[in-house]
Amino acid sequence: MSPRSAWTIALPYLAFFLLPLGWLALTSFWPDAELARPLPSHLTLENHAAALSGGGLARAVLNSLLVSGATAALALALAAPAAFAVARLGVRGGRALLGGALAISMFPPIATAAPLYTALRAARLLDTLPGLVAPYTSFSVPLALWLLTGTFRALPVELYRAARVDGCTPLGAFRRVLLPLAAPGLATAGLLVFVFAWNELLYAVTFLTSPSRRTVPVALALFGGEFRDPFVVLAAASTLATAPVVAIAVLFQRRVVAGLTAGAVKG
Amino acid sequence: MRPSPRALVPVLLCAALAAGCRSHEGDARGAQRLVLRYQPLGPDPAPFRALVAAFERESGVEVELQALPNAADLAHQLLVTSLGAGGEDVDVLVLDVVWVAELARAGWLADLSDAFPPARVREEFLAGPAGAVVQGGRTYAVPWYVDVGLLYYRTDLVPEPPRTYAALAAAIRAAQAEAPGIAGYLWQGRQYEGLSCNFFEALWGYGGTALDGERLRLDSPAAREALDHLRGLVADGLSPRSVVTAAEEDARRAFQEGRAVFMRNWPYAWPLLQDPASPVRGRVGVASLPGAEGPAPGALGGWQLGISSRAPAARRAAAARLVAHLTSPDANAVLAIAYGRNPARRASYEDPRIRAAAPFIAALLPRVEAARARPVTPYYMLAGDALQGELSAAVSGLRSPAEALARAQAQADAIAGVAR
Amino acid sequence: MGAALVAPAGAALALVALGPLLATAWLSLRHRVPVLGEDHFVGLSNYRALAHDARFLGALANTAYFTAVAVGLELLLALPLALALHHAGRGRGALRAAVLVPWILPTVVAAKLWALLLQPDLGLLARLWPDGAGAVLTRPRLALHAAIFVDVWKTTPFVALLLLAGLQAIPEDLARAARVDGASALRVFRSITLPLLRPALLLALLFRSLDAFRVFDVVFVLTEGGPGHTTEPLSLYAYRTLLRAGSFGLGAAISLVTFLGVVAIGLAWLSALGERSPGEAPP
Repeated sequence: MSPRSAWTIALPYLAFFLLPLGWLALTSFWPDAELARPLPSHLTLENHAAALSGGGLARAVLNSLLVSGATAALALALAAPAAFAVARLGVRGGRALLGGALAISMFPPIATAAPLYTALRAARLLDTLPGLVAPYTSFSVPLALWLLTGTFRALPVELYRAARVDGCTPLGAFRRVLLPLAAPGLATAGLLVFVFAWNELLYAVTFLTSPSRRTVPVALALFGGEFRDPFVVLAAASTLATAPVVAIAVLFQRRVVAGLTAGAVKG
Repeated sequence: MRPSPRALVPVLLCAALAAGCRSHEGDARGAQRLVLRYQPLGPDPAPFRALVAAFERESGVEVELQALPNAADLAHQLLVTSLGAGGEDVDVLVLDVVWVAELARAGWLADLSDAFPPARVREEFLAGPAGAVVQGGRTYAVPWYVDVGLLYYRTDLVPEPPRTYAALAAAIRAAQAEAPGIAGYLWQGRQYEGLSCNFFEALWGYGGTALDGERLRLDSPAAREALDHLRGLVADGLSPRSVVTAAEEDARRAFQEGRAVFMRNWPYAWPLLQDPASPVRGRVGVASLPGAEGPAPGALGGWQLGISSRAPAARRAAAARLVAHLTSPDANAVLAIAYGRNPARRASYEDPRIRAAAPFIAALLPRVEAARARPVTPYYMLAGDALQGELSAAVSGLRSPAEALARAQAQADAIAGVAR
Repeated sequence: MGAALVAPAGAALALVALGPLLATAWLSLRHRVPVLGEDHFVGLSNYRALAHDARFLGALANTAYFTAVAVGLELLLALPLALALHHAGRGRGALRAAVLVPWILPTVVAAKLWALLLQPDLGLLARLWPDGAGAVLTRPRLALHAAIFVDVWKTTPFVALLLLAGLQAIPEDLARAARVDGASALRVFRSITLPLLRPALLLALLFRSLDAFRVFDVVFVLTEGGPGHTTEPLSLYAYRTLLRAGSFGLGAAISLVTFLGVVAIGLAWLSALGERSPGEAPP
């Protein structure tokens, strides 16, 4: 497929995905009293000011970045060696691990919230960010495990053999040869896990109580009034909060492309 | 494995996360510390914080505020999760008017009868909320602020607010003849607790009640008339079809744009409708909801303050003082003036500060006096969920009202029967 | 050696995820309503009650329908998108990031955005098309499709990213060699790209159907399960039963049935596609 036809295909998708987002961005400049009208009489920055007042949102973005980053890093650190072992070392029960991991991670979060709450309190991790990272990691390891097992299997087996012949231990071959080549897979898995943690609301709202430890979804959930749902402020807050993640995604994509090229040269 | 810089990343992140935590022991040495869980009252937290700070200064007790999202189901969940887990995480709780009976029966609410004798609660507070917080002769919570269902109408399209359902229909027809295309009556028909409030208001409008001892009685002639009436509003075009998905804000926004003649809503809508940017400013009136033969009571909403029975005795005494502070006449005035919340104390409606700064609230006294609570029974939360689904099915035309109510009754009885 | 590498991941799962699962399984055999102080063993009676519960059966049907249609559409839409992302050349980093935004946007915000656009009377779509898309939420038979639509809008980027990872793993030279041998682009796609993409497709199918089976936020924001439970999925029924109604035993039973449904879907996909685990060459 040529780049030109690729862009031809991509354009309708861009419209489909971005037009509603444009509407969201426009809504964030909309005066609240005029939300029910087809178009606003004027645009305002009041909603952004309201979203940022008190500094809670900036703090929440920082917390979310920390939690999501730690979750992604931990999930990759746990899943990559396991995936390598399942894919290349022929670990007994590897398939059972994959299947079991998948099944466990798909347990409805609502059913796990109460038992986890009790467990976290016993571990004195309630209302701490690590107390949130622990369940997030455990529920996102399976996705990373599946993705990375596929990635490692797709790398030519000769590479691994050659590294072993050159005197690498299995672990050395994993670290020096396979892991760098798996960079695109790691990046994808990391991004997916990151976004999962970024979006999670139920655990965050159940386990965190201090204002200084709120994550973005919790902060957004707190903008609502008893009856009023100030969507314009929510729109402003969510565009402000989403911007850093999009920036990270852009930087991340550069890394992925760089990793790809490096892989192609070496491969 | 030799530690590589990359392997250190998770370690560093963990350290950064851990640096952000503090011990959750509470302060054993010096000042007492209370945890208050509440839903934010409005966008500006300052007046409420000042109210709490005044208590901290007077009592020397530190208060930790834990804000909850303003979603009643979620708040109920968090309460049940933390109280059900048996911990001492929370001292003072903010309770919906329909939770008190349930949580009191569960033994999760401390008995406050010593600090707030039932007779005094009944005397000082409005009858509706007082009835909700006094259970079996004991006080389990103190009313904080109240809400009541009201009829909003367009004074430029309707000469007199209708007192009966027949008059409501006639007024809509007349107004629509004058302003073609305008919608009639907006209310809340979405499948959620607001629909139950609308239903009970219609039930009372037909002279019915929903309580037979502790048993919820949903399948009565008055209930069938009430649900027939609600369904009829949609089927006959007196209400637009969109009410079957509408919550408070859907109704309020459409009404504020001048797209409807009548609306059922809570008092919060009033200042918004009178906003300088509001197209209907100065053309809106408020009245009691109509009934079959005359005005009907509006549903009682609002919140109460209770104390967790798991809180240690020493903290409980301080918590009772905090509750007294937050439900005092002064606090009633702050909530009314800064946040537009209707006082739960009867005398506050005569408070010159409120009469001067929030005359609309002061004028609501007859409506809040008449407001009626949804059935006060421990089974309400359990059965209410089944009820919402059946009400929604009837209102949207999936089932006949009679069939829907028969099913709701069967489910409510099953819940109470299993429980007994 | 291998076991040592697997152990940390296994331990993390067992520690945090397995415990709640077992606790829930045990709870589902009890009648527990904490607010009424009720707690005793009832065996399988919660499950027997569900078998005759019209609301539960409706929720099961809603969930299955939602999963099948949403995941099917997402895969169909994501495949061309993934190919486009893979071949876009200059500016593909920006393209990928742009396409990802709906998925990064918190689900609650995405759902509220669409709730606003779809609001009968006042929403943008209602103004453009009052009796069509604008009225979809008021129609019991159609409202679920609005939830499917929002899910497709939000999650197609995720599926495309998974497929893109698969495409990136396919050696370029294979396709190049085939083109040199005179094969058409379509043929290369059908006989080289598609078979090699199979593991990625399976992975996407698996993760999405399992995830869609637990759908919650989108429906909660759009309809709260109404009108008349016609859009209520299992997870919402479980949520209401557990947390609003406070009936923990029954709620646990619904959660566990949801979980078993998820496991069944997973096994069905794995065996139907003759694939044993990801990344293995197709038979």
